Amino acid sequence: MTGMSAGVAELKRRLPHRHPMLLLDRVVRVEPGARLIARKAVTCNEPWYERLADDAAERDHDYPAVLLVESCCQAAGLLATWDAPVPDARGDRVMLFGGISGVRFTGRVRPGDVVEHQVRLVRSFADTVLFEGRSTVGDETVMEIEQLVIAFRPGSGLAPATPATADRA
Amino acid sequence: MSPVCTPVAGRIEHGGTAPDGTTLVSMTVGPEEPVFPGHYPGFPIFPGVCVIEFLHRGALAAAPGPDHTWVLSGIESARFMHPVLPGDPLTAELTWRRDGASGRCSAAVTGPRGTIARIALRFEDRIALRFEDEGAR
Repeated sequence: MTGMSAGVAELKRRLPHRHPMLLLDRVVRVEPGARLIARKAVTCNEPWYERLADDAAERDHDYPAVLLVESCCQAAGLLATWDAPVPDARGDRVMLFGGISGVRFTGRVRPGDVVEHQVRLVRSFADTVLFEGRSTVGDETVMEIEQLVIAFRPGSGLAPATPATADRA
Repeated sequence: MSPVCTPVAGRIEHGGTAPDGTTLVSMTVGPEEPVFPGHYPGFPIFPGVCVIEFLHRGALAAAPGPDHTWVLSGIESARFMHPVLPGDPLTAELTWRRDGASGRCSAAVTGPRGTIARIALRFEDRIALRFEDEGAR
């Protein structure tokens, strides 16, 4: 593995996501074309907690599972584009979240936790890349993903009125 | 105030259960959804994971049994076909299948431009899970 560390400034040069949907804080290791490890620190300052009642129980503060998925997707997106970043959602080449399967939520995540996503590139086709992922908090696995699909399309294919496109990763 | 921590602010309507066991849930993706400022600046697209969250919340509202202690334990599959934009109405005709302490909810989510996604979610009864212990990890 290549030892390296990329912070938020570098993430913003590589991803179109911004607050509150830039759901990674740091890349800690990357082996381009193979694997990547990134971290996300969870805090109660994220807007999803704003509408939670003051008397909500601890378990009501579980981090939304779908945002764990999104955070891991962003790690996969970074790996998919490490040598050719796609930082503009309106560019001539865009990254799409095509689909996901075999996701298991095996532990909870709460404010104060640092989630570490480990994504591995499994197969790469012309315009589709398949990944698997595992997310941990300390020694505990909190999420496993059997298959995550990221697809690339020409930017014009993302015009809102055009069918046969998907959501961006 | 919301009883749950979720990235989807819109209200999810529960349209009742049909004789064939399917349940219709719907919501309108308002321009004020909290994800839009960052997904993406000046080019709002409702994230695919928020479409999954719409089904997750709709599935909990339609969950079988009076106990309502189901928690999301996995995503069997989700496939995205179309983007979702501010103002889009979303509907899902969902099917619940319960097997003891586990459950499965599947649906096609549709919007103004056709089928947006096909999703199957896995649930477990909270009582059977270690989610129940209340303390810190």
